[in-house]
Amino acid sequence: MLMHDQYPDGTVRALLATDQVTEATRLALTERLTISPQPPQFFTASEFSLLQAICDRLIPQDERTERIDIAGRIDERLILNKSDGWRYDVMPADGDAYKLGLAGVDEAARLLFLQTFQQLSDELKDEVLKAIQHQEAPGETWQKLPANRFFEELLTEVANTYYCHPLAQEEIGYVGMADVPTWQRIGLNQLEDREPKSTERGAGGMV
Amino acid sequence: MKHYKTSETVDAVVIGTGAGGAPLLARLAAAGLKVVALEAGKHWNPATDFATDEKSQEKLFWNDERLSAGNDPIPFGSNNSGTGVGGSTLHYTAYTPRAQPDDFQLRTDFGVGEDWPLGFDQIEPYYDEVEQFLGISGPSPYPWGPARKRAYALGPLPINGAGQLMERGCKELGIKTSPAANAALSAGYYQEGVGYRPACANRGFCQAGCNIGAKASMDVTYIPLAVHHGAEIRPESFVTQLIKDAAGRISEVIYIRNGQEERQRCRYVFLCAGTIETARLLLLNNLANSSGQVGRNVMAHTGLQIWGEFEEDIRPYKGIPGALISEDTHRPEKADFAGGYLLQSIGVMPVTYISQMARARGLWGQDLKQAALAYNHVAGINILGDCLPHAHNYLELSDEKDIRGLPKPRIYFSNGENEKRMTAHADKIMRDIWSAASARNIWAFPRNAHVIGTCRMGTDPATSVVSPDGQSFDTPNLFISDNSTFPSALSVNPALTIMALALRTADRFLEKHK
Repeated sequence: MLMHDQYPDGTVRALLATDQVTEATRLALTERLTISPQPPQFFTASEFSLLQAICDRLIPQDERTERIDIAGRIDERLILNKSDGWRYDVMPADGDAYKLGLAGVDEAARLLFLQTFQQLSDELKDEVLKAIQHQEAPGETWQKLPANRFFEELLTEVANTYYCHPLAQEEIGYVGMADVPTWQRIGLNQLEDREPKSTERGAGGMV
Repeated sequence: MKHYKTSETVDAVVIGTGAGGAPLLARLAAAGLKVVALEAGKHWNPATDFATDEKSQEKLFWNDERLSAGNDPIPFGSNNSGTGVGGSTLHYTAYTPRAQPDDFQLRTDFGVGEDWPLGFDQIEPYYDEVEQFLGISGPSPYPWGPARKRAYALGPLPINGAGQLMERGCKELGIKTSPAANAALSAGYYQEGVGYRPACANRGFCQAGCNIGAKASMDVTYIPLAVHHGAEIRPESFVTQLIKDAAGRISEVIYIRNGQEERQRCRYVFLCAGTIETARLLLLNNLANSSGQVGRNVMAHTGLQIWGEFEEDIRPYKGIPGALISEDTHRPEKADFAGGYLLQSIGVMPVTYISQMARARGLWGQDLKQAALAYNHVAGINILGDCLPHAHNYLELSDEKDIRGLPKPRIYFSNGENEKRMTAHADKIMRDIWSAASARNIWAFPRNAHVIGTCRMGTDPATSVVSPDGQSFDTPNLFISDNSTFPSALSVNPALTIMALALRTADRFLEKHK
């Protein structure tokens, strides 16, 4: 197994202050970095806090001091009625699917462990989510809503939302937004000075 | 830019400004015709409107919701149609291999699928013209297919990490590879009527929009040429109706602009809205469908991707994504399927990679975060293979309405036996290549790409929608120029062939009707 990479903090934020990114790129990423959390408009407060709890299990952010607001971006998309251009025909409209599915998560938690999802330990929360992912969760909801597709769509949107954030991009060592100088060192093991090096892999390599 | 009055009867209205519409528009304008192009999306200024940010660039995708049904529902949005002057070429990977002569005669060679009503020799001069005009970068000679009459306009683009790794693995297995042909400039390029375009910055962002005009999307090539010759581009104009006169010819095109309905009078209509919207518009208007074939024969290339993690630093956001190609699998020996496929190396942008990994592998929690941390060390290979037309794959109008009150399209797609066998064949070869190149954690992303079909061209009005010249059998002043008319899917990325066919359609029209 490969060792895990670890990249330094602050790389993308430092590049945003330079002329190595275009103005359009700087605007888009700075807005995402600085947007402050808003109360939900599409979800009710309880739906929203449940969604946040689920997002915390799908992409844990325990080590972060500045948390990336995933649920808020999903709420924003749904209130704006934005689509990604398609949906599974077996699924209801995105907003309905979210509302139904969230209710189904709590329903499954109660049927499996006699508590709401948010009352469960992290381990049991993960049990509930695994059951939904593998279409093994109990509950009326999943008679109406294909559990595997609900989970797949939710997970994809959560991953997409997290990794388009500059802080998440720092985490994985991505600096492709700094493209003004062009990329000339593009072959294997060729890095430009502005590309961060992993502090873990380096000399150690395979373990 | 010239502006025509809506009350004026123009010679032609072209609906859609992508690979099917733009070359044809330029050709008609150059011949002196009064032409207006209606485009649903905006006319972007890439230098100021395009961020190097996948999320903001989602605006280039066709984001009106489509319903995906069948056993292998097709994802739309980021793949297939585009929104904006330039259509899907705004976000195509710029991969521009030619189809080979046998691609056009699948039925003759294998007894399945369809032959095209025209052959390679009729397309070839247009391939040549498009390649020179766009400034395609590629190797000369190119190792597969008939010898080309002229070398590619420019030498190949540099090979990135993924390309080097595929080269390494293929060499081990005795598979021939070559730098690929790409519609992105390896050096600055000048064309009369277009101007100067700079060399590619190796920014790896083709699928989310090129911000310097190095990639040959239509908005920086055929569209400026069309405008130079007097065409009008009318963006943010969403066509809803085609109105017939008493003689059964289309006399007016109705579209929505700024929330208002406008009408443009015209002598001819060229429908170039792509497989889904072209068929949807015909079905909505109950047009050109005496054959009952509109919406039938939906095809989507086999497009399996195999990803692997490598010890080397790859940084997959750098360089032209599809740097290396092999067509050794074009007609594999002892294959248990009809047709074949090509192999290409793939670089990838981070959000695209991680989202599809989450979807396909179902990874979440620490597993997802760890797999995402390997992003700088991942490289992919994918195939692009033929797909047979099956009766079970089609488009229909659903009962669900979009924001304009028009029915959303529902598209049924299930891979048939031939596609499954081809994919299994490719799965093994690509895993072998990646193993030979020392990949770890190899995983597969199953997919079909490039939706094709719905308005098949042919010689028999009973079984096809348009003639080999793209002319509707039912409505003689209606022509179609896009991927919807392909009788078979071909074993290559479709954009170059769509453009070549568009020029041929324009020339055939001008010969007969001017």
